Amino acid sequence: MIAKNRNMTVRLLELLMVFFAFLFLTPFYFVLVNSLKPFGEILNNAASIPTVVAWGNYSNAFQKINFVSVLLNSLSITVISIILLVAMGSMASWWMVRNGTKFTTILFYACIAAMITPFQSFMIPLMRVVTTLDLVNSRKGLIIVYLGYSTPFTVFLYHGFIKSVPIQMEESALIDGCNRFQIFFYIVLPLIRSMTVTVIILQTLLIWNDFLLPLLLLTDRSLHTIPLAVFSFFGQYTNRWDYALATLVLGMLPIIIFFLIMQKYVVAGVRAGAVKG
Amino acid sequence: MDVKNKKWRERTLATVFLGPSTFFFLLVIAVPFLSGIYYSFTNWNGVQSKATWSGLSNFKYLLLQDSQFFASFWFTFRFTLTTLVITNVVAFLFAMALVQPLRFRGALRTVFFLPNVIGGVLLGFVWRFILVNGFATLGELTSIKLFLLPWLGSPETGFWGIVIVYTWQSVGYLMIIYIAHLLNIDSQLLEAAQIDGAHGFFLFTRMILPLSMPAITVCLFLVLSWTFKSFDIVLSLTAGGPFRSTETVALNIYREAFTYGNYGIGSAKSIIYFLVVGGITFVQVRLTKKMEVEA
Amino acid sequence: MKRILIALVLLCSFSLLFAQGGTDNKKISPKELHLFHFKVDQIEEWELISKEYAKVEPGIKLVIETVGGASDWNTALKTKFAAGNGPDIFIVDGPALAKTFMEYLTDLSDQSWAPHVVASAKAPLTFDGKLMGMPFNLEGYGFIYNKQIFRDAGISKVPSTVAELRQAAEKIQAIGITPFGNGYSEWWVIGMHLMNIPFAFQSDPQAFSIALDAGSATIYENDIFKNFKELFDLTIEYGNKNSLTTDHNAQMSLFNTGKVAMVQQGNWKEGEIYSANPNADIGLLPIPVNNDADFSGRIPVGVPFYWVVNNQSALQDDAKKFLEWMVTSEFGRSYITEKFAYIPAFDNIDSVSLGGLSRDILDYATQGKTIPWSFTTWHDGMYNEFAEHTQKYVAGRISYDEMLVAMQASWEKLAK
Repeated sequence: MIAKNRNMTVRLLELLMVFFAFLFLTPFYFVLVNSLKPFGEILNNAASIPTVVAWGNYSNAFQKINFVSVLLNSLSITVISIILLVAMGSMASWWMVRNGTKFTTILFYACIAAMITPFQSFMIPLMRVVTTLDLVNSRKGLIIVYLGYSTPFTVFLYHGFIKSVPIQMEESALIDGCNRFQIFFYIVLPLIRSMTVTVIILQTLLIWNDFLLPLLLLTDRSLHTIPLAVFSFFGQYTNRWDYALATLVLGMLPIIIFFLIMQKYVVAGVRAGAVKG
Repeated sequence: MDVKNKKWRERTLATVFLGPSTFFFLLVIAVPFLSGIYYSFTNWNGVQSKATWSGLSNFKYLLLQDSQFFASFWFTFRFTLTTLVITNVVAFLFAMALVQPLRFRGALRTVFFLPNVIGGVLLGFVWRFILVNGFATLGELTSIKLFLLPWLGSPETGFWGIVIVYTWQSVGYLMIIYIAHLLNIDSQLLEAAQIDGAHGFFLFTRMILPLSMPAITVCLFLVLSWTFKSFDIVLSLTAGGPFRSTETVALNIYREAFTYGNYGIGSAKSIIYFLVVGGITFVQVRLTKKMEVEA
Repeated sequence: MKRILIALVLLCSFSLLFAQGGTDNKKISPKELHLFHFKVDQIEEWELISKEYAKVEPGIKLVIETVGGASDWNTALKTKFAAGNGPDIFIVDGPALAKTFMEYLTDLSDQSWAPHVVASAKAPLTFDGKLMGMPFNLEGYGFIYNKQIFRDAGISKVPSTVAELRQAAEKIQAIGITPFGNGYSEWWVIGMHLMNIPFAFQSDPQAFSIALDAGSATIYENDIFKNFKELFDLTIEYGNKNSLTTDHNAQMSLFNTGKVAMVQQGNWKEGEIYSANPNADIGLLPIPVNNDADFSGRIPVGVPFYWVVNNQSALQDDAKKFLEWMVTSEFGRSYITEKFAYIPAFDNIDSVSLGGLSRDILDYATQGKTIPWSFTTWHDGMYNEFAEHTQKYVAGRISYDEMLVAMQASWEKLAK
């Protein structure tokens, strides 16, 4: 009897969540449906299903922005930034937690402070630094800026997580004669794997979707990233929604696929942590 | 000798581990931010080659004469508080639901996370379209009052419009964090409590909630750090309108520096903003940390 | 010793990073001439222009930087200059921005095209008798109207006074169509273009601005501003509901679907209207301020942007040469008149392919029935402030008189 009741509750909950899911998907409906309409129809009736499917939006957008090069730019910038960020951030956070000094405390609070500071408030001085170092108009320059700009959030995430990791294993490894590098790479890194997955997902989203930094740093069209390509269809007085939405869908696909792949690891990572914990 | 050597090795190790992050942090954030402070004492317009020293006059002006700056602070404060509560409650409930053995659990998690894949500015444009056109159409069809409101056209609907969009976007993100922590809660602990007769509401308030405190701290801080400096979604959704009633502090600073060409005043504003938000965040982190310890 | 070693370790770890992918930024011959503009709808055309110019001037590579309106080109441009990285050729949208950049501008008065710039386009960028920018085209705005709806409503005479406009609105209302589609949530529709009207109708708009700066005139005591209430109220009374939620996209969608008869917009929307409805029968009406048809029957025509040459650039002469090529060569001219379908701002270039709105604008311009785009002379940030006050009036939060007083206060604040 109780089991049956419980079953009912679960089914009801299921129904409720599916309803919410559809609510959450509404904006995607608009994006998808309108990316397949001719320009005139988007303006006249945005909510309807397309009367004629305009695949031309996609092929046009694909050519106009040189999608392959744009995609490769976004990919290379994101992948290199993420690898370096994860390496640097995890190492720094671990050191900060395990070998805390006055300096690391100050650094941690500086990171927290940086997270709440709007980018616009140091945008111009930052551009001065970047120009002085001749890092403008290069992927390398943008990656360097991301390494600095995303460090606070990365450290924030790792710092909190590493504190909750028991120290005993590291201590016994030290007694067994491991050096710090061995401890970090063979013991700590596997332990914080689930947070690494989280960091990768969150930072990938931020960097992949970032608009302002590429806009300021990458003026050469051959270096443009996906958000810049989408925005190249928005003018001061007119917006080419047809091409912009098609580009948006094309740019969203890799990241959705990426998330679907990573999600498995999120759950796996969390489970592994739970078993060991 | 040996002691000295050890100390030296320790330093080198610290440099290897901490060095890269510290270097890039200083280069990209700390140095630009600190050097930006200089401009707050000048009347630089953001373009001229020379900036003239103007002492404290920027601070005097914005503290005494710029009422819009305080209005945007008040808006940001209300908006942050509202969003903080709504997103966290919804995300926590979603997380509680999605650790149950539901069908399509994986798919549902993905769907709720999906809003994060669209970047800020464009998200605002898409939502603007839905709130203005979509809601109006729904209103005509159903004549439900909620849809017939002048969405984004009055201070109230502008406020709630932004809250809706932020909630839509950040709930999935927070939900993932909550799910991770809920799965990590020792199930034996909960079972033991259930055997001892703890059920429903009691179980939730006395066991699950306190055990989730670390996750809540993280999520509260995350939302705080996003909403307080929110800029791009607001810019594309309402652009601070109507009549600057939905202008956030970040938008106000941006306008002062770039639209009005008063980079000096803009810098002064960002310093004041920084001090205020820094203070609030400090208090918030302290408070929730304290609750964690007690739990 | 320790410090040096630490520094060395740091250096080593970063040299690895800096070593990778360093080929992005090499500046090789030919010389790169950087040109910055915000017309994102012309990206492909500019790429073709750049290719063609490489044939004409093999020593120069034209690098086009385009930043769109949605992303605030103005901020991107200022940031580039602040960082000491200004482009060789860039754009300003009028005298106010030109003043901000004044120390970087080059005198272009001696250029071969300068004598052919039409007078109304020359004046705004002339400082101390020197022409500092090259206008690219003329644009105009007013009420775009749907001629078919006007015929259906039985309006035979094109309205050019407030009273006639009111009668037209009543007739349109009578056949069940909303007369005005107001995009009043858009700051540039209400704060810039609409509020330009009472400024530009002053007998001497420039003198009026100067008088406002000096405090010898006020907005709230000015008759044209006081009378402007009639027109403003007319658009609200006969307008779409929720005009404060209507942005320019929603506004155009109302117009394109025939739900409204008139929208306050300009010929930049022409392409969009024709692509939504290839057979659209449209024209442009002046925005009247009183019942004197000769006085009110004028439309605001102006230059949306000027090309200017950065005097810090090492390639100044190449920049001037390129601009000259744009308006003197067959190729350059064909882009202005055909590809961009512009109304040229030069008296020695004839327009070729114009739509209904541009034709009307050209008619008014050749008859001299124009008023200026005064907003290009307003102080930085003025349109945003005006948008704020006028939106408050539309929402019914303040009275018209209070709105004028608030506008005056904004002017005084920003004129400092």
